[in-house]
Amino acid sequence: MRVLHKKLLRALLKTPGQSLAVIMVVLCGTACYICIASAYRNLVLTRDTYYAQYRFADFEIYLERAPRTVAARLSAIPGARRVRGRIVKDVKVDVPGERESRIGRLISMPETPEPVLNDICLRRGRYFSEGAQNEVIVNERFALHNGLALGDRIDVSIESRRYPLRIVGLALSPEYVYMIRNVQELVPSFERFGILWVPEPFAETALDMREACNNIIGVVDEIAVLDGVLDRAEQTLESYGVFAKTKREDQISNRFLSDEIKGLGVSARIVPAIFQGIAALILLVLLNRMVRTERTQIGLLKAYGYTNLQVAVHYLQFALILAALGTVGAFGVGQWLAYEMVQIYVQFYQFPLLEARVYPDVLTRSVGIALGFAVLGALSAALRAARIHPAESMRPAAPRHAHRVWLERFTRVWRRLGFAGKMICRNISRNAFRAGISAFGVMVSAAILIVGFFTVDAFRYGLHMQFYEMQRHDLKVSFQLEQGKPTYYDVLRFAHVREAEPVLEYPFEMRNGWRKKDIIVTGLPRDARLQRLLDAEGAHVDVGEDGLSLDEHVARTLGVAVGDRVTLKPLMGRIKKEREVVVRRVYRQYLGIGAYMNIDALSRLLDEPFAMNAALLRTEKGRNADADVVLRDVAAIASIVSRDRAYQAVLDTIAQSMKVMNVMLVLFAGVIAFAVIYNVTSVSLAERQRELASLRVMGLTISEVGRILYVENFVLGGLGLIAGFPCGFALCRLLIRAYDSDLYRLPFHIEPRTLIVTTILTIAFILIANLAVNVKVRRLDLVEVLKERE
Amino acid sequence: MSEDAGNGRDIVFRVRDLCKDYRMGEVTVSALRGVTLDVAAGEFLVILGPSGSGKSTLLNIIGGLDAPTAGEVYFRDEVLTNYTDAQRTRYRRSRIGFVFQFYNLMPNLTAEENVALATEIADDPIAPIEALRLVGLEARRAHFPSQMSGGEQQRVAIARAVAKRPEILLCDEPTGALDFSTGKVVLEVLSDINVRLGTTLVVITHNAAIGGMGDRVVRMSDGHARDIVVNARRLTTDELEW
Ligand SMILES: Nc1ncnc2c1ncn2[C@@H]1O[C@H](COP(=O)(O)OP(=O)(O)O)[C@@H](O)[C@H]1O
Ligand SMILES: [Mg+2]
Repeated sequence: MRVLHKKLLRALLKTPGQSLAVIMVVLCGTACYICIASAYRNLVLTRDTYYAQYRFADFEIYLERAPRTVAARLSAIPGARRVRGRIVKDVKVDVPGERESRIGRLISMPETPEPVLNDICLRRGRYFSEGAQNEVIVNERFALHNGLALGDRIDVSIESRRYPLRIVGLALSPEYVYMIRNVQELVPSFERFGILWVPEPFAETALDMREACNNIIGVVDEIAVLDGVLDRAEQTLESYGVFAKTKREDQISNRFLSDEIKGLGVSARIVPAIFQGIAALILLVLLNRMVRTERTQIGLLKAYGYTNLQVAVHYLQFALILAALGTVGAFGVGQWLAYEMVQIYVQFYQFPLLEARVYPDVLTRSVGIALGFAVLGALSAALRAARIHPAESMRPAAPRHAHRVWLERFTRVWRRLGFAGKMICRNISRNAFRAGISAFGVMVSAAILIVGFFTVDAFRYGLHMQFYEMQRHDLKVSFQLEQGKPTYYDVLRFAHVREAEPVLEYPFEMRNGWRKKDIIVTGLPRDARLQRLLDAEGAHVDVGEDGLSLDEHVARTLGVAVGDRVTLKPLMGRIKKEREVVVRRVYRQYLGIGAYMNIDALSRLLDEPFAMNAALLRTEKGRNADADVVLRDVAAIASIVSRDRAYQAVLDTIAQSMKVMNVMLVLFAGVIAFAVIYNVTSVSLAERQRELASLRVMGLTISEVGRILYVENFVLGGLGLIAGFPCGFALCRLLIRAYDSDLYRLPFHIEPRTLIVTTILTIAFILIANLAVNVKVRRLDLVEVLKERE
Repeated sequence: MSEDAGNGRDIVFRVRDLCKDYRMGEVTVSALRGVTLDVAAGEFLVILGPSGSGKSTLLNIIGGLDAPTAGEVYFRDEVLTNYTDAQRTRYRRSRIGFVFQFYNLMPNLTAEENVALATEIADDPIAPIEALRLVGLEARRAHFPSQMSGGEQQRVAIARAVAKRPEILLCDEPTGALDFSTGKVVLEVLSDINVRLGTTLVVITHNAAIGGMGDRVVRMSDGHARDIVVNARRLTTDELEW
C-alpha cells in the first residue's frame, strides 16, 4: 500500500462517526435508487411482456348492441389490425354461504381456446369443455378471497333468472392487472368484485345477445393511427349506440399501472438526487476542513515532488471510498427493499409472474450516481488542495478575522446574550456557509416529512370528503333498466330502508368547442340530501332546477365557467339529439370526475317525464347488512354498493403501504438531519477543540461546553425547520400538480398534527445528533488538546 | 523536602510521592517518579526544569486536569487525587486559574467578552473591565484576539484566569511563546497580581533566569523534584538577566 493510501485510511478511521454518517446517507440514496429503479424496470418489463403475450387491446368501445359481424367491418379500417367483438356485462353474483352478493363482470370468451385479443392467462384448472353451458373461469383473487375452489358453484343473476355456474378454471387477464370496477373505487376489492369469463353461447343466451356484442376491442398497426381508427370506427358504429371509447392509455387498469410506473420514474430521479446531494454537501464541508488543517502537510508533499494532481486525487479518493462503501452496503439493502416493494405490488397488481430481479445495469448506474455526486462534493476541496503553493503553505494561514454581527447594533439585546450566545452568533456569521448547510439539511429533512405526511393527510381528507361529506347514503342500488316513479316508492318500502332518493346516471359526450369529454351525468332531486355537492369552501351546492353542476376539474379541462354552455350528446339509448346546457354551478370533488343535474331536467333531456336507474338509500342504524340481504333478492337490482365497506376497503388497502412508506420516510429524514448536523458539528468541534477544551479547563462542565454547540444546532435547526415548512408546502403543491388527473386529485390539506409531528421529529433528530456530538465533547482530552500548537 | 514551604503560612497543596506513568502500547513513560512538595498560600513558586522533566504533568495534576498513577495531592484538607470528574470540574471552576503557553482565547469573542466568559460562571468575580485594567489592557476591551499581539493576548488570558478570583494561579510556560521584552511585561503582571491580590502563583518555566522572581524555586529533572531554593529577595523584571 502506498503511503498516501495509508494516510487516507487513517483519516477515515480517525473520524469513524463522520465517515459512517456519510456512508449512511449514500447508502440510503443508493438503496432508494436501486429499489425504485428496479421496481420501475420490473413493472415495465413485466407489463410489456404480459401485454404482448396476451394481446392486450389498444382500444375498447362500449356500445349498446351491435351484430357480431361488425368486427370484421371494423378490422377493414386502414390501420386497424385486429378487432374482436364480445359481450361484457356486470351482474349480481351469489357465493354459496355468503350473505351479501358480489358484483361479477361477465366477459364472453370463445368456446374453445383461441389466441384472442385480451386473452386470459389460465393459472389453475382448464378451459371450457366443448358445448358446456354452465362453466365459468373466474379471476384468481376473487376465488381466493371468497374461499372458492375449482369445481365450486356460484350463482349469477341476470334479469330475474339465476344461473348456477361451475368454476373450471382460475385465470388472470392483462385487462385487470389493477382490478377495480370503476375509477371511484380506487383500490381493488377482490372479495366484492370478480371477473367471470364465460363461453360465448352462454353469454348470448343469458344476456339475450344472440350473434351480437356490446364491447369491441382491437389493436392497431401503430399507436399514431389510433385516433383516426377510432373516429372511423365510431362512424361505422353510429347506429349501434356507442357510449364510450377508451384508448389503452385511458383503460382503467392500465392507467393506474402506468401512473404508478410514471411516478416511479420520477422518484428514481428525485429521491436519490436528494440523498446524494446531501452527501455531497457533507463531503464538501468535511474535505474543505481537512484540506485547511492539512495545509502544511500538503505543501510538504508537494515539496517532496508529489504533483498537484496526485494531491487532488488523494482528496477525491477520500470521498470516493466513502461513496463506494455506501453503495456496496446499498446493494444488499436496495435489493431487499426492491423485494419488499415487489411484495407490495403483488398485492395490488396481478401479473402472471412478478418477482424481484437483480438488474446489473441498475446497480452499475447506482454506483455511477453515488460516485459522481461524491466527486462533485469533493471537487472544491481537491482543487483547493491542488492550488496550495508549497512555500506559502509553510507560513501560517492568514488569521480569519472575527467581526461584529449585525445583532450587536442592538446593544440591549446583545448585552443580555451571555458569552455562549455571543459565541454562537459570531460563529454562525463567521461560518455562514457551513451554518447554511446545517440549516439546509434540516430544511430538506423537514420538507421530506411534510410531503410524506401530507400524502396521507390529503388522501384521507379527499376520501373523507368523497365518502362522508358528499355521500350521505349507506347503500347505492343500481337497477338493471331505467325505472319510473313507482320504483322509487317501492324502494322506500323495503325493510330497514329509512330514506331514499332516486338517481339517474347517463353517459354523455360533453363538448365545448374542440374540447370534449365522455362523462356520466348524474341526476339528483332538488335539495338532495343523500348526495351533496360541495364547493371549494365546503359550502353546499344544490343542483337547482336546471343547468349543469360541474366538478372543477371537468370545468377546467373543458375550459368552461359558470354561465357558459356545453353541448351534451347522449352516448346511450335511441336519442341522438344534441342539447345545449348551461353550466350553472361549479363544485369540487377529489375522486373521479362528475357532472350533476336536476333529475327531472335530465329526464326531460332524454325526452322522458321521469327516469331513474339507481337509488341512494339510508338504512336504519346498524342495519346496513340486513338491508343488503333484502335487496339482493330483488331481481330488478343489478348491484348494491355499501359506502362504509367501500371506504373501509380503500383505507385498509392503502393504510398498510402508507404506514410502510411513512416509516421509511421518517427514517430517511432522520438520516439526513442527523448526518448533516453531526458532521457539520463535528467539523466545527474539531476546529474549535482548543477553545472548547480551554473552557473545560476553566471549569465549565461537559454540558456547559456542549450547550454552546447544541444551542447553535437548535438555532440553525430551528431556522431550517421554519424554512422547511414553506419548502414542504411548495413540494406538496408540485405533487398535487403532478397527480392531477381524471382519476383523482390531491387536496392541499395538511393536518395540524403533521406540522406538530414534523416539529417534534426534527427536534428529536437534532437531539440525537447532539447526543452523538456529546460523546465527542466528553472524549475531549484536555491535556492533549492544550499541548498542541495552533 | 528540607526547605520549608515558607514562614508559617498556610499550606495550600501537599504533594506526596506523586507518580505518573503514560502507557503507550508496550512502552511505559514515567513522567513523574515520586514528587513530594508543599505549596504555601500566597507564595510565588517557580518550577524550573528542562523540557520533558514532568513540569506540565505535575501542574496538570495539581490543577485537576489529570489524575496521577500513584501518590496523593492534598488540597488543604481534601485529597484532590480522590476527586471525581465532576468534583474536579467544580474545583477548577472555583479555585484555579490557568494560563498556558498558547493563549487559547476564543477567537469569536472580544477581549472583554473572553474575560466575561470566566466571570459568568464565578460566584464573586472581578468585573471584566477591572480584570483587564489589572493587566493594563482596558483600552483594548473591544478588540478581538486576532487584532492583538501575542503578549497582549497572553495578558487577556491572565485577566481571564484572574477575574474569577481564584485562590491559585497556575501558569505553564506563560512566556514560552513570547519574546524577551513582551515576556517581561507578562511576568510583571503575574507578579503584581500575586502581590496585590494574594493569589498563590505557580509558574512553570525552562528559563532559569525567571527563577529569581519567585519566593522559591523547585528544580525538576527526570520526573523528580531535585531541590528547592528559597530566594532571599524577589527580583523585579528589570533585574532579570535573560
Ligand atoms: N500523553 C502523554 N503520553 C505519553 N507520554 C507523555 C504524555 N504527556 C507527557 N508525556 C511524557 O512525559 C514526560 C513529561 O512530560 P511533561 O510533563 O510535558 O514535561 P515538561 O512539561 O516538563 O516539558 C515527557 O517525557 C513526555 O514525553
Ligand atoms: Mg511542559
